[in-house]
Amino acid sequence: MTTVMEIQNLTLEYPVPRKYRKEKFKPSGVRNISLEVKKGEVLGIIGRNGSGKSTLLKMMAGVFPPDSGSIAIRGSVSLLAGVGVGFHKDLTGRENAYLYGALMGRTQNEIDGLIDEIQAFAELEHHFDRPLRTYSSGMKSRLGISVATAFNPDLLLIDEVLGVGDASFREKSKKQVRKMIEKSGAVVIVSHSLGLLKEICDRIIVLENGNIVYKGNPDVAVETYLQL
Amino acid sequence: MDSNPGEVPLTPLWGKRSFFRLPFIVAKDLFQARHLLRLLVKRDLTGRYSRAYLGYTWAILEPLLLAIVYTFLFTILLGSNDPLYSVKIIIGIIGWQLFARSVTTSTRSISSSINLFQFARIPKTVFATSSVLTNYVLALISLSCLIPFFFIHDLSLSFQTLLVPVWLILICFTGWVIGLMLAPLACKVPDVINLVNFLVRAGFFLSPVMWTYDMFDKRFGEGWHSVLAHMNPTVVPITGMRDAILGESTAIPSYGYLMCFSIAICGYILGSIIFERKAHRAVVNV
Repeated sequence: MTTVMEIQNLTLEYPVPRKYRKEKFKPSGVRNISLEVKKGEVLGIIGRNGSGKSTLLKMMAGVFPPDSGSIAIRGSVSLLAGVGVGFHKDLTGRENAYLYGALMGRTQNEIDGLIDEIQAFAELEHHFDRPLRTYSSGMKSRLGISVATAFNPDLLLIDEVLGVGDASFREKSKKQVRKMIEKSGAVVIVSHSLGLLKEICDRIIVLENGNIVYKGNPDVAVETYLQL
Repeated sequence: MDSNPGEVPLTPLWGKRSFFRLPFIVAKDLFQARHLLRLLVKRDLTGRYSRAYLGYTWAILEPLLLAIVYTFLFTILLGSNDPLYSVKIIIGIIGWQLFARSVTTSTRSISSSINLFQFARIPKTVFATSSVLTNYVLALISLSCLIPFFFIHDLSLSFQTLLVPVWLILICFTGWVIGLMLAPLACKVPDVINLVNFLVRAGFFLSPVMWTYDMFDKRFGEGWHSVLAHMNPTVVPITGMRDAILGESTAIPSYGYLMCFSIAICGYILGSIIFERKAHRAVVNV
């Protein structure tokens, strides 16, 4: 199978704020991580809060640079995180969809081709062309997840974005993410929904204090995580 | 590494880039991100006066109201007898505001946009650039407050007037490059933003807003004072704007122009190198 992403000895240490330097407090980064993501694979990442899951995803997306080690990617990568972040209350739903798409690295033509699909999925109807400040928080979430899940990169990174909206929309979002997983080259997903991860992942890695403590079978990974 | 023939190769996300290529990379990245840049400028322009009843009229009213205050101070209290003094002040305020806003918004561009570049790898310079372009558009709108003065003082448009947007570009470009140099440091040491705010306020008095080039020349003449004054990157462009609008011709020495353009070009080279080398790591500090 073709490698979509190759990570070797990846390390990132967060700077320690001055007031904490005397204490032995050390913010968790990631330490000496090596892994490969293959085409067609769904890789899960689990770990306790502060174990370095989101940091690793941000490094895989190219947002954070490593202190040492290397990351190589074949094709495009985008990260689904913080649905609705970047939306502007004075822009319409449509304008926000274009802006959010561009922030995800998409071209105008790509967004043009998907805008009808985004509008239909968000179920906003005539509200789509009204300013965001007239939206309820549920409508904003629907717009966010609709734009975020519209594109199919070669490597899709998902960071806990499936808990927004009402119950029926959450179910719809999960279905959409599953569809994305089928369409995308490979997926790396961070979630605390262990059942979902066991169901969809081919492999799971368990992170603790920025280190990989287990990598492999999803059932074993979840057992390892629960014993931490 | 396993790959099939004809497939795109694995590309390092953080490959080594030559020091000298960075200014070209910044320009290329911005060109490629022009769609995002346009959307960000539209967002900023929409949001700027969206809650105000008078909307964009504020862009015209701000320099006009400030000019009324300064003209009152200088014409009535200090006895300035130049009939065009109020026009000169308005031009100075528009130019200075553009410079000040360009420096401050570019300096805090990384820390204020941290949430916006977490989805994909997009050039971080777009946020500083979009805010500067927004300020440029607002400065162009502000210029319309000069229209009544063209009738009052019987001024006329000439070929020279076309230079006004060019001088404004030079002003915001210089502010942008200064911001690029400082933005990574501002993430690490937030006090830099406070320091820049202070320097911008102090710089108001050192720039030709309430005084003109001729006033300075009459008082200090040639010499080290003049060289020092030309180190301020707003002196030549603001004077150039006044000349372009009022149809005057101020005798700025050739070294003045040379210093002004050199500061802009060297600032771009240095700013793009510092930004590209330091900004990515600085994000981790925010």
